[in-house]
Amino acid sequence: MISRSRTAALLALASLSLIAAGVVPSPAGASGGKAKALVGTFKLDAGSCQGSSVTGTYFRMIFPHGTVANGKFFDNPDSLCSDKTYTLAIPGTQGGLVTGNYQPDPSPAFTAQGGAAANDIVQPQGFTAINFSIATNKKDPQTGTAVPPPSITVKNGKLTGQTEAWSAAWNKLYFNQGSPKPGGSHPGLTTPLTGTYDASSRAFVITWTSQVVGGPFNGFTGDWHLSGTFVPAK
Amino acid sequence: MSNDSVDPAGTVPRPKRWALVVIACVGAALVVMPFAFTMFSKTPQGAVMIAQFKPFMTTARLYGFQTDLREINAGVRQSDTSVASYLGGGTVDQRAFASAYPTFVSFNAQWPAIDRKMTSLMDQVQGNLGNYLAVAALPSFKLFPYFFVLPGLLILGFAVVALRRPRGWRSGRWVLVALGVGLIAAPGIFQMFQRAPKGGQMMTAFKTIETDQNVQQIQGYFGTMAEGQGAIRLELVPGLHHAGLDAAQIASRFPAVASLDAHWVHILNDMTPMIGAMSDNVARYQAIASLPPFPLFPWFFVLPGVIVAGLAFAAGSDRKALALKPTRGVQTEAVPHYQGAT
Repeated sequence: MISRSRTAALLALASLSLIAAGVVPSPAGASGGKAKALVGTFKLDAGSCQGSSVTGTYFRMIFPHGTVANGKFFDNPDSLCSDKTYTLAIPGTQGGLVTGNYQPDPSPAFTAQGGAAANDIVQPQGFTAINFSIATNKKDPQTGTAVPPPSITVKNGKLTGQTEAWSAAWNKLYFNQGSPKPGGSHPGLTTPLTGTYDASSRAFVITWTSQVVGGPFNGFTGDWHLSGTFVPAK
Repeated sequence: MSNDSVDPAGTVPRPKRWALVVIACVGAALVVMPFAFTMFSKTPQGAVMIAQFKPFMTTARLYGFQTDLREINAGVRQSDTSVASYLGGGTVDQRAFASAYPTFVSFNAQWPAIDRKMTSLMDQVQGNLGNYLAVAALPSFKLFPYFFVLPGLLILGFAVVALRRPRGWRSGRWVLVALGVGLIAAPGIFQMFQRAPKGGQMMTAFKTIETDQNVQQIQGYFGTMAEGQGAIRLELVPGLHHAGLDAAQIASRFPAVASLDAHWVHILNDMTPMIGAMSDNVARYQAIASLPPFPLFPWFFVLPGVIVAGLAFAAGSDRKALALKPTRGVQTEAVPHYQGAT
């Protein structure tokens, strides 16, 4: 009898811990300081430049030994902004990033010229004359490591989560651009996913940085800025 | 009659003990050497490095890189002269050109240094193609530690057995001679005397190439080149269109610019993976470079081989031989018998 009570108490304690850690959504949702997993589609706003002001969804690449604040940033001549360090994104056929599921690269993943073909999350965009795009695969194509589908949690209007599967494709090459990196590390300038979420409008802003490990851009860091509106899964 | 045969007095030969001890030490050294040089972790990295460079280390591919650089150079030169002149209405007004096309002008100023460095690098790599191919023709680097450990274990084993059970020496001796001869012959069979020094030359040549600093400089050049080509593709060429030229006229008047524009994606397809291979193999190169120099490797086989074969051959029988004592009917047991003792 005592043993059964103790087991029940331990189970209750474990459940509370999981809810507190954001692994399991709390019945009360985001209110009251409880973490809630946001499962659905983070519909992206297209990136836009107005002078030096950049809004929506975009990406920058920082040279090795640079910083997020001061660069040096890689100039993408195909950028539509006057500041060529910003590469703007246009939402893909699924509108944006889906959590709890993968949005894999198509097969073939590249055109004959090396342009990325994935278009679920974002439309392929020119990057030094070759299209690049984003996908989330069960197995990260650069490292060959199994990765979980993206997951994002809200607590008190603050977003946390992981995008380990976030993979950029360009020029017949793959670059993992998630945070954390496959396996859970945060090398170099890689920072955890953070963001804000307005529960009433469902507007979100998500940012993270991810250092490229291996390949021609080894040591470069992608600086990701996603914004838009969250649509829960039905 | 050889000195290791059974003599009429019923004795079997006994090897010279000191010789067997030396042979055992050589065997142990062969076993220990790969561990001492951490070969088990380093040589597989060498195997990966050789494999990852393979797609690029062909005459056609290396010539292609040189062609890519010449094509970029021609496009940049023509942009800076003929195109600038055309856009300037027949004269080159550097100030106006720089004001209208600052990205290209900035790139143009950096290009000669980039071109020199990249061309020199490709010359260096191309000059080492033969050396690379020689190294790649060697047995896989992964196997190298075992080439020491396995013969080492056999030599050590036979020497220890001969020390403990001298009556088996007659056959054991020839096995040791054969192992020694095998070690002497192996570098010849694998042409290591020709290939290992070439590997050494390649490692020396790559010493300045396979560094983080060099790779990051090339990554920086890549960014500058992409930006510069973007300026030609997205600013100068549209400028020519704006000045009234169509694509065919641009190709006819400025063939180097049109060619660079047309082949840029191919150039990226070509160069980017090579930069990736260079970057990915910095640590692997450094692991291999920390091994003893390549030209010494054949001698790591030959010298132990000479010692083992020579001593095994010369060890023969000691003046102390073994008398054969009948035991259990037909079987015999060796016991020391001092043949020459008085």
